[in-house]
Order: sequence, then C-alpha cells, then structure tokens
Amino acid sequence: MAGRGFTRNFKPLEILTEEQVEAIHKGTLEVLWVTGVRMEHEGALKLLEKNGCKVDYHELRVRIPPALVEECLRKTPSSFHARARDSKNSLMVGGNTLCLGVAPGQQTVDLQTWEPRVATRKEDYDGVTILDALPTVHFFSPYTPYFGFEGVPSCMAMLESLAARIRNSTKFQCVGFSDNSEIFAIRMAQAAGIEILGTCAWAPPLAVYRDAIESTLRFAKAGLPLRIVSGQVMGGTAPATIAGGIVTNNAEVIAALVLAQLVSPGTRILVKDFSSSMNMNTGAPNFGGIESCLHNAASNQVFRKYGVPIDNSTAYPNSKMPDFQSSYEKSFRLLVAALSGASTLLFHGSVHGELSHHPVQAILDDDVAGMVGRFMEGITVDDETLAIDLIEQVGPIPGHFLNREHTRKWWKREQFVPRSADRLTYPEWINTGKKGCLDYARQRMEEILATHKPTPLTPGQEEDVERVLEEARRYYREKGLISDDEMATYRESMQSPDYPYG
Amino acid sequence: MSVETIENLKRAILDYDSERAAAMARKAVEEKIAPTEAMGAMTEAIRQVGDAFGTGELFLPDLVGAADALTAATPIIDEELERVGSTKQSLGSAVVGTVFGDIHTIGKTMVATLLTAEGFVVNDLGINVTAEEFVQGVKKYQPDILAMSALMTMTAPEQRKVIENLRKEGLRDKVKIMVGGGAITQEFADNIGADGYDPTAPGAVKLARRLAGR
Repeated sequence: MAGRGFTRNFKPLEILTEEQVEAIHKGTLEVLWVTGVRMEHEGALKLLEKNGCKVDYHELRVRIPPALVEECLRKTPSSFHARARDSKNSLMVGGNTLCLGVAPGQQTVDLQTWEPRVATRKEDYDGVTILDALPTVHFFSPYTPYFGFEGVPSCMAMLESLAARIRNSTKFQCVGFSDNSEIFAIRMAQAAGIEILGTCAWAPPLAVYRDAIESTLRFAKAGLPLRIVSGQVMGGTAPATIAGGIVTNNAEVIAALVLAQLVSPGTRILVKDFSSSMNMNTGAPNFGGIESCLHNAASNQVFRKYGVPIDNSTAYPNSKMPDFQSSYEKSFRLLVAALSGASTLLFHGSVHGELSHHPVQAILDDDVAGMVGRFMEGITVDDETLAIDLIEQVGPIPGHFLNREHTRKWWKREQFVPRSADRLTYPEWINTGKKGCLDYARQRMEEILATHKPTPLTPGQEEDVERVLEEARRYYREKGLISDDEMATYRESMQSPDYPYG
Repeated sequence: MSVETIENLKRAILDYDSERAAAMARKAVEEKIAPTEAMGAMTEAIRQVGDAFGTGELFLPDLVGAADALTAATPIIDEELERVGSTKQSLGSAVVGTVFGDIHTIGKTMVATLLTAEGFVVNDLGINVTAEEFVQGVKKYQPDILAMSALMTMTAPEQRKVIENLRKEGLRDKVKIMVGGGAITQEFADNIGADGYDPTAPGAVKLARRLAGR
C-alpha cells in the first residue's frame, strides 16, 4: 500500500481559466527567452547553446527558445515509476496519484518544552523506523527525519541520513546534493539495489549554482529520476503576486528540465512548487500561508497541461508545536494539494517550518493524511451503496441499520478511523485522564518502537553501504572538510551500541 | 531655498524614491548646503522609517525602499563631506555581510538598514563573502562592529573561519563580532568565539550599540 499513494477518483480542482493558464505559459516562455536564467556551469551552457539557446558566457546567462522548451516538456514523462527496496513500496508519480513524503527538520524538539535541539543518532534511526511503520508515508525526502545528528560532520549529513533510511526502511528514497555527495548517494543506492530521486535546487530569482547543475547532470546521465526545486519567497526572491511567482518558478524549474532532457531524453522529472510569501515584518517565509496553497493549485493546473508531474513541496507549519495553528496550516496545504492534483507532497513530521521534526508529529500527521486519502477516494454510487432495497426493508423507526450485513460489510470501507484522535464521550474522557490526540500519538510511538522491525539489508548490501560511507568520509577528509577533532567525535559517535554498523 | 532642498531630500527617502534622493543630494551640493546638514536629514528620514518598522506601522518593502534611496544619495554627500574635510557624525561603524556559500541577502540587508537608521556608518560587503574578503573589509574600514549572517547550517561554520582568520592576522581584538541568521544559535556564537548574537534584526541593533559601547 505504502508506495502506491492515494488515488483521486474525481476531477481535480481548477482555479484558473484556460486563458489564465495560457497567459502564465506565455509569460514563462517570454521570461525564458527574453530575460533568460543564470546558470553557473560552462558545460551546461555549451550544451544549451548547441541546441539553439542564446548564451552570454560573461553573464553566464542562457536564453531558451520557446520551441525547445515545448519540445522538452513533451519529452518529459507524464508519469513514472521509481524502484524502492521493496517493490510494493516503489514510487508511483503522476496521473491521479498523490504520494506523501516525510517533511524534514533540521533538529528534533523536546516533548516537554517544545524547544529544538540536535537529534542523536539513535533518535534519527528510531525516527526512520517509525516513519517506515506509518502507512501514509509513501516515501522519504532528503535529510529526513533530520538534517543531521550528533557527532556527524555537516558534509556527511546527507549521506549518513540516506544510510539510516536505506537501512531502516524499504520505502522509496530521495537525496539532495552538497559538495558532490550525490556521487556517493548514487553508489549507495546501487549497493542497495534501489533507485533514488535526485535534486536540482535553484537560487531564485532565476539563478542556479554549479553544484545543482552537477547534480542534475549526474542524475540524468545515471538514468535516475530528478526533482527540480526553486524555493522562492514571494515579495523577496520572486514577485509578490502569485501569478508572477508562478511565472518565475516555472522559468526556473523548466530551464533545468530542458537541460536534463537534452542530457538524457525521457529523464523522469518531478518539478517542485516550493513557494512561500514573505513575512514582511521579519523577512522569513510564511510557510503556512494560504498564498502557497493558491500557488500550488494554480501550478498544478499549469503542469497538468504540460503533462509533467508536480510536487507541492512541504506542508510546513509556522507554529512551534502541534496545536490548532499547526493543524490548520498543515491540513489546508495537504487538502488543496490533494484536490488540485499534486503528484507528491512532503507532509509528515515537520513541527516548525524546516527547523524541526518529531515522530509524534508524524504520527498525528498520519491520521490527517489518512483522512485526506479517504476523501480522495470519493464515493461509490451503485445499487449496493445506494441501498434502496435495504432502506425499504428497514423502513421507519423502530427499524435501524446496525444489525444489518450491509452495515458490517460497508462501514469499515466508508469510514476512516483515526488512530490518535480523541473520540470519547465526556464521561469516558474524564475517567481516562482527559487524554488528547498528542497523548495517543505518544502512546502509538512507543508501541511502534516496541513492535515494528524494519526489514534489514542483506549482509552484503550492508557491507557495501558502509564501504561507500567510508569512501565518502575519506574523500571529505582529503578535501579538508572534516578536521581531526571532528573525525574523532564522529568515530566516537559510531561506537554507540545503538549503531551496529561502524 | 536650502530648507526646501533639505526637506525634499528627506521626503525622497520617505517616498522610497532613489532617483529623486540622488537628485536632491546633488542639488544640496550645488546649493552649498553643509553636507553634515544634508546627512543629518537623510539619517533622520531613515530613522523615521526604521522606527515605524520597529512599531509595525511599516514593513520590509518600506525599509528596503528607504535604504535604497539612502544608498543612492549617500555617495554624493560623502564626496562633499570629504571635499570640505568634514567627518560624518556616527554612533560607530560596521562591516556586514553574508558568509561564503550563502546567498541569502534579506536578513543581512535588514540588519544593515536598521544599523544605518540607528546612526552607524555601514559598509555592506554583500552576500557570498569569503573569509579573506571579510578580513580585507576589516582592514580597510577598521569598523567597531563586524556583523556576519548565515542562513544555512552548511554555511554557518564559515563564521568560525572568519574569526580564526582575523585572529591569525592579529585583528580579532580590534573589532567586536556579532553573528546571526537562521542557522545560528547563542551556543554556536559562544562556541566560535563571537562577541554577540541576536535572533532578530532590531535586537541586533541593540546588541551593536552595546558592543560599540554606545
């Protein structure tokens, strides 16, 4: 069930007219051809120039002609499949399917104070185990659950995170890039016999750095799927208007899409719509703003026309703990994504923006995801579900439906039963200690940790994963990115009884 | 005449009009208005915007708009100050920048603008500033304050590198160093040997005043 995602059985929500979609498309083509984008990579610029783009090598600016843009959009698969360790968890992207991923956090939070702190290695591994157990987590995004953990130098964070996820979950995995980490990530994936989704991240407005292009080229050449993300903040790194924001976001992700299709036609691509408005008091992104929902819904409509799968980024809340604000910020984002036809969304676990994550939050999110997944299934309308004959048999009071075979058969299909919600009556609630959803989620977390045993890698695969990690450690040591002191702390962190691999 | 020009210069900054601010600054020079008086009017304008930002009446686009207008007029008045051999009245001086590998400009610009509004002379080195460039900036401007920003966990260690390089050059004790940005905490600031940290831009200004002994 996990990797297959939720299926939407009704028409997607459309908030734009045909004319508006066309205006956004034309605006995108104009920006790509007239303004162009800055790409800090000579090899990429040469390839684009060879294929009809205008290149200014001094400004590192490339202008892409409309015909090439449209040709590359056509070459991009409208849906794809990507292989996970367990084939039933392989990722299905596109069509009417919505797959939900883990939302990362730089740190964990203390469940008493809700203040952030760096996670331990054990917390990271346990976090992966819990996410592996949650049925509505369809895949893992990069840096999940945490950006890094105690003892690990920052240059190794990406790879240590991937290793923890490959070891403790059979679900599909994504990776980011930094200082060539993707070279080792690809090797690690090969060792585990899986495909991974790589990343190309822009620096809006309209610029992309060398590292991101290298990552794009490596994934396209390796025949692996790629997600392309911008991360604009409307009013700061994009126009303050949602329409203008969509145009620059489109130009950014499509420019990289063109490059990937030129390197390897048919490359599986997931464009990402990661747009927030700016908090005009602080300059920070309004992660939970309704503007992002509008941006997502409109972009989903535009990319449906292109026939390219789209990710609606992350349901990051601005709240600092799982409370009323957090739940409406996350739920709006998920529901709009689900209704308007997103292919993927990162949802589970983020507590405050991308700064913190906790498995308890992921467990609460599992219920919300289940509710939305149930909504997407829609309603079955046929003779059996209309139940006209049954209604005739039961008739008015004193008739009732509770004792009927039809009820026994159907209620479990029709209802979604949340695992952590408080659904007690007042007397029951008072007599059981006035527990709320958070208490139930903590209880479920303990149960999962006590009972869920992720499928391990084979001993051979395990050895290969550790060997790739060792190669990466040597590489970064030689590059001077891990000092002697850092290496000593790092080695010590691997001696823990919680870490049997080092 | 001169009163009107001074008023118009101030008005241009309050209207976030860079072109008019520069034109009014040139006019002030032509009319032989004392450059200290022109600078005073400009500082007063940016302080008004900074204060209104602090109370929540104005927002970042206003703050940045006013800062741009100020930046357009400042070199013209600076040149005149130099010509007449006068010096700028200021609370102190600061060099600011976002560290190498990090291209996040907004937090850094907020701090630079609010420091200017408070009365500091600010030299903004921009974004993606290498440790070497920070050291050169400190040598060149000899500021009271060095303020460094890093938004990303990956780039935060650059701040340590800058401090180490300043130490090697024997400059560490000649400048107070404050750090900020999304990736920074008080613990990190203490750990790398910075003199201060604050999570907000207005807080950074108070910190700068304290560190500069003003």
